[in-house]
Amino acid sequence: MKDLIKETIEKIKDQGIAPEPRWKYLVKKYGMWAVFGVIILLGAISFSIAFNLLSQLDWDLYRFAHQSAVLYSLSLLPYFWIVTIGILLALAFFDLRKTETGYKYSWLKMSLVSIGGIIVIGFVFFLIGLGGKLNAFLIKDIPYYGQHMMMTKESQWMQPNSGFLSGTLTIISNGKLEINDLNGQKWNVILDEKTLIRPAVNIAKGEMIKIIGSKKDANNFEALEIRPWMGQGMMNGSGAGRSSGMMNNGSGRDMMNGN
Amino acid sequence: MSEKELQTDAELIELAKQDPELFGLLMERYQVQLSHYIRRLTQLGQDDVQDLLQEVFIKIYQKLNEYDEVLKFSSWAYRIAHNHIIDYFRKVGARPKFNSLEDYEWEKIIGASVHIEKDIMNRDCVEKVKVCISQLPIKYKEVLILRFVEEKEYEEIMDILKKPKGSVATLIARGKETLIRELKEQNINCF
Repeated sequence: MKDLIKETIEKIKDQGIAPEPRWKYLVKKYGMWAVFGVIILLGAISFSIAFNLLSQLDWDLYRFAHQSAVLYSLSLLPYFWIVTIGILLALAFFDLRKTETGYKYSWLKMSLVSIGGIIVIGFVFFLIGLGGKLNAFLIKDIPYYGQHMMMTKESQWMQPNSGFLSGTLTIISNGKLEINDLNGQKWNVILDEKTLIRPAVNIAKGEMIKIIGSKKDANNFEALEIRPWMGQGMMNGSGAGRSSGMMNNGSGRDMMNGN
Repeated sequence: MSEKELQTDAELIELAKQDPELFGLLMERYQVQLSHYIRRLTQLGQDDVQDLLQEVFIKIYQKLNEYDEVLKFSSWAYRIAHNHIIDYFRKVGARPKFNSLEDYEWEKIIGASVHIEKDIMNRDCVEKVKVCISQLPIKYKEVLILRFVEEKEYEEIMDILKKPKGSVATLIARGKETLIRELKEQNINCF
């Protein structure tokens, strides 16, 4: 045994073996934590985008789509982002386990740190508008994203065959309401006594609206309900920044007749 | 007892970083423990165990700056030995072919696994059980050796294997179950 110690020390001296510098170890140690931080940030960004999408959708349309609330809600979920968050969570767990002290953390602690981090930071990102900006960027620059990958507010309200239409008011006159939909197509919106116009809707040229109803032909859409572009229009939102025009809280025919 | 022998592991590490000769004091403290651990796990002959031990000590020396006092030095040293042994088996691409645990060491594992008193062990039966244990996958054999032969606490095994406590407990339980199943399959029912 004594020989082993002597031989080992001689070998260390002869071969010039020295302790590796501490910075190498620190780079590895903090590198793992930095990777964890990046994963959580990416997860938080994904969460803010998903939350932004969900917050803009109208969840009560199942009544008009003739579907159950559950099935309709499932069809609205942003699965791409849910899967992305799931993958990032798995990576975060894996990375956390690989940190120097990761093996000591319970699943509960790792879940709280990872999921909690993604939700809290993601919600902050959502509040400061990052989710909205990134969504707008993706919808604008990657058409496939908005058209096929995700149920966005735009895609939810650009389904005239299913009874959902949206666009900008272009002509408002007695008995006539015309919009340019999100693809630039002109639609004549047919109103009658039964048409419900939500209180916050501002019927004015240049305003964006959402319409629930049925498509009559290529350019005519019969409206059952009209909502403002932002929100569901339950509250009378005549606040600052609204363009002047007809505010209404009655049926379509009354409004169009100026009553 | 010299002044150096009274110093803590952490103090000796700091000294060893400056002077390799002082690393000898750390080696002296742990060479018996680590030598037994390597022998028990690898089941290699004395010369091969000594070679592996030297390689382990050199690795420990190279990693001295990585040592974190949160861990016991012995746990950290066992961890390096464990990783080195795993690498060794990967390199040689083989599993140990023969057994070199002492009788009292076998008895500890057997006693912990099949719940029998040492004095009622049948000698012939013990030999058969030894074969079954030696055929266990290394992940099970290792935790059984650490827990019942090295008599390490769960927390120390966690630190050595870098596995969560739940995984350590599961490995120990599965190791025992696998051993009992193996004994039944081979009709070893002599206790």
